[in-house]
Amino acid sequence: MAKIAIVTDSNSGITQNEAKELGITVIPMPFNIGEETYYEDITLSQEQFYEYLKSDVDICTSQPAPADVMKVWDELLKEYDEIVHMPMSSGLSGSCQTAIMLSEDYDGKVCVVNNQRISVTLRQAIFDTMLLIDKGYSAKEIQKILEEDGLNASIYIMLDTLYYLKKGGRITPAAAALGTLLKLKPVLQIQGEKLDAFAKARTVSQAKSIMINAIKSDINTRFGGNPEDCCIFMAHTNSDDVINEFKQEILKEFPDREIIVDPLSLSVSCHIGPGALAVAIVKKLHV
Amino acid sequence: MAVNMIDAGLLAKMFIAGAKSLESKKEWINELNVFPVPDGDTGTNMTLTIMSAAKEVISLAQPDMMTLCKAISSGSLRGARGNSGVILSQLLRGFTKVVRDYDSVDVDIIAVAFDKAVETAYKAVMKPKEGTILTVAKGMAEKAAELAHNGESDLDSFIKQIIEHGDYVLSQTPEMLPVLKQAGVVDSGGQGLMEVMRGAYDAFLGKEVDFTMTTNVSHAAKANIDAQAEMDIKFGYCTEFIIMLTKNFNIKQEIDFKEYLESIGDSIVVVADDDIVKVHVHTNDPGLAIQRALKYGALSNMKIDNMRIEHQEKLNLMAEKEAAETAETPMEKKDFGFISVSVGDGISEIFTSLGVDFIIEGGQTMNPSTEDMLNAISKVNADNIFILPNNKNIVLAANQAASLTEDKKILVVPTKTIPQGITAAINFVPDLSAEENLTNMEGEAERVKTGEVTYAVRDTMIDDKEIHQGDYMGIGDKGILSVGTDLQSVVLEMVDAMVDEDSELISIYYGSDIDEEAAGVIKDKIEEKYPDCDIELQKGGQPIYYYIISVE
Repeated sequence: MAKIAIVTDSNSGITQNEAKELGITVIPMPFNIGEETYYEDITLSQEQFYEYLKSDVDICTSQPAPADVMKVWDELLKEYDEIVHMPMSSGLSGSCQTAIMLSEDYDGKVCVVNNQRISVTLRQAIFDTMLLIDKGYSAKEIQKILEEDGLNASIYIMLDTLYYLKKGGRITPAAAALGTLLKLKPVLQIQGEKLDAFAKARTVSQAKSIMINAIKSDINTRFGGNPEDCCIFMAHTNSDDVINEFKQEILKEFPDREIIVDPLSLSVSCHIGPGALAVAIVKKLHV
Repeated sequence: MAVNMIDAGLLAKMFIAGAKSLESKKEWINELNVFPVPDGDTGTNMTLTIMSAAKEVISLAQPDMMTLCKAISSGSLRGARGNSGVILSQLLRGFTKVVRDYDSVDVDIIAVAFDKAVETAYKAVMKPKEGTILTVAKGMAEKAAELAHNGESDLDSFIKQIIEHGDYVLSQTPEMLPVLKQAGVVDSGGQGLMEVMRGAYDAFLGKEVDFTMTTNVSHAAKANIDAQAEMDIKFGYCTEFIIMLTKNFNIKQEIDFKEYLESIGDSIVVVADDDIVKVHVHTNDPGLAIQRALKYGALSNMKIDNMRIEHQEKLNLMAEKEAAETAETPMEKKDFGFISVSVGDGISEIFTSLGVDFIIEGGQTMNPSTEDMLNAISKVNADNIFILPNNKNIVLAANQAASLTEDKKILVVPTKTIPQGITAAINFVPDLSAEENLTNMEGEAERVKTGEVTYAVRDTMIDDKEIHQGDYMGIGDKGILSVGTDLQSVVLEMVDAMVDEDSELISIYYGSDIDEEAAGVIKDKIEEKYPDCDIELQKGGQPIYYYIISVE
C-alpha cells in the first residue's frame, strides 16, 4: 500500500500545532500588509490581523509561492509515495490552479483536489482524506471521491457590515445585489465556486433565523433529509461572544450535536471584516 | 295592488339607486371611523366599489337577469377596495349567485339570496368580527328568512321591515364592539350597507333615480385617472388664434360665432377687444373654426395642438420613467416577482431598491382596488408573485385579486403596515421555494411592531384616552399608544410603548410634512434613550402620517 501525505493550506483552519498532531502539512497563506509579508499562524496571529484590519492599512491576500509549495512536496516525497494536496476553493483563489499546474511535473504522485471547500468544510474534507487513506484508497481515487463530494457542503455567513466587501471590490455581484438605502445584515453563501449573496436581513436575529432555515432546507432538499447524516460547523470573524450565543440557538434546533466553532480563515475574513457569523453544513461522506 | 315580483329592469334601477344613495352619504360615513384619523375611508371605499358595478349596470341597455347579475358581481369584485368594499362585493356576489337564475324574483327568492350573500361574505373574512357590516347583513338576512317563512309576499312591506331591522342591528353594533361604543359611533360599513338598502327601496317605490354618473374619480388609482382622461378628450385639437378684425364684429356676431364654435367643440373663449378678437376652442376640426373666423378678418398667432398626442406623450413619458425605474428587472420571465403597495416617494424608493417590481401607490389614505392589483399582476412577468398589501385594509383586496388570477401563482404576504412590508421584502430568499418564503416572510413581518403618528380630526375617547381635535396621536398595532399636543413627546411616548428588551432595531420613516432636521432631532433622542438598539432614519415622504416607526 502506498504511503500518502496530506497537504492543505491555512484556510482549512487547521493550525500548525494541530497539523503536527495529525501528521499533515499546512502551508501558511501569505498576507501583504503595508510593505511586509506575513504568514498566517506563523508570523500573523488572528489578533494581529484584526488590529491591522481595523487600522486603515492595505491588506492583500496572495497565494503561496510556487517554490514554497514545491519545496513542501519535494520534502514529503522523500518519505511518502504520493501526496493529496487540497488548497482553498478554486472559486476564491488561484492557488488551486497553480498547484494543478505544478503537479503536472510530478508524474501523478501529487493529486490536487479541486473540491471548492474552505474553512470548516475544507477541514472536514481533510478528515475525510485521512479516513480514505486508512481504508487503503490511492491518492488518485481519493481525489476523485472528494471532488465528487465537494458540492455536498454550504457555508452561510452573516456580515456585520458591507464595508469590507465593497472595499475589496472583489465580490462585486454579491455586493451589488445588496445595494440599498437601508442598513442590512447580508447573508452570503459559499457553495461550489462562488461566494455570493444568499439573503438579507435587517437585524442579527433575522439573519440567524435565515441561516438556520437555510441549513434545514439543505438537509431536507440536498442532503437526504436526515440531520444525523450531516455535520454542522460554525465559524466567525472576531466575535466569540456572539457566536457562542448563536451556537446555543443552533443547539436548540439540533440538540445533542457536537458543533465545532472555528475562527474563519483570514483569507475570507479579509473580505468580510469582523463581526461575521457563519454556520456550515456538510453531508457526511460514505465510502 | 301589492307588488310581489321584481324583474331585471327594476332590480337594475334599485341597484343604481342604492349605489347613488351610498355615494351621497360617503363623506359622512368616512367620519364614522373609530380612529379620528384624517383619512377615514370606509364611505369612499364602499362607494368606489359599488360605483364600479353601477357603471357596468348603466352601460347595459335592457339587461336580462343573468347579464345584470354578471355586471353587478364582476363590477363590484374588480372595483373592490378596502375591507368594507371587499365585503360589500362579496355580499353582492352571493346575492347575484341566487337571483341570476330567475327572470324575476319574489320574497322567497330574495330571502334565499340574502342568506347566500351573508354566507359568501363571511367566507371572505378570515376572522369575522361581530358588530360590523357582516352582522348588519346577517341581521337583515335573518329577518328576510323569518318574513318569508311567515308567508309575507308584499315586497313593499318586506323590504321596509328588513330595513327597519337592519337599522336596529346597526344601532346595536356599539354594544357588540366596545371600540365603537367608546368612540360613540355605529359601524361605518354597516351604515354604508343601510344607505344602499334605503336607495334601493326608494327606487322600488318609484322615486326618481338620477342615472347620470358624476362619480368623483379623484380617489381612483393614478392609472385609472389616465385612462379616464384619455376617454374624456372628446375634442382633440386645442385651437387658438387672434382675429384682426376687418369686418363688423358686434354683440350679434359674437354670439353667432360662439354658437358656431359650440356646435363644433367646447372650452370656448372668445374675447373681443377693439379691433382684435382672441379665440380659444377645443375641436376635432380646427379648419372649421379657422374658416369661420376668416369671415371677420385676418388671423394671427395661430397655434393648434393635438391634445390626444400630448396626452399620449405624457403617458409615454410615464411609461418610460416606469421602464427606467425597473430597468434592472430582466424582461424574461422570472421565478419570483414582487408587488408592493406604497405611499410616499421615499418608501417607494426603498421598496424598489429591495427588488419590488411594481409599486401600487396607495395606503390608508387611498386603498387600491382589486382591479389595481390585477393590473399590477398583469405587468409583472413572473411565475410566482408576492403581494405586500402593507395595510390591514388592503389585505382582503389582495386576496381577492389572488383568487381571480389563474395564470400566475399569487402569494399574499398579509403585511399590515409599511415597515412589515419592508421587513418581509428584505427577508426574501431566492433559493427557497415560494411557500417556504411565504412562511418566513410572514413570520418575520409579524415580529415587527409599527407605530404611526398623525393628528385627530375630532374629539373622541379611545382605549380610555381622551383625544381632542388637532391632538397628535401615536397609533400602534393594537390601539392608541400616545396622545398630546407636542409632536416630539407623542413620538417618544409611542416608541417607549413599543420597545422592549428584545428590540434590536428602531426604524424611523419621516413624512412629507417633516423636514430632515426635525427628524434628526427625534432620531438623536431615540438613540440616546435606547443605546442597545440600532436606529435607522429614512425619508418616507408619506402624507398625513408625520412618522412611521417600527421596532423589531
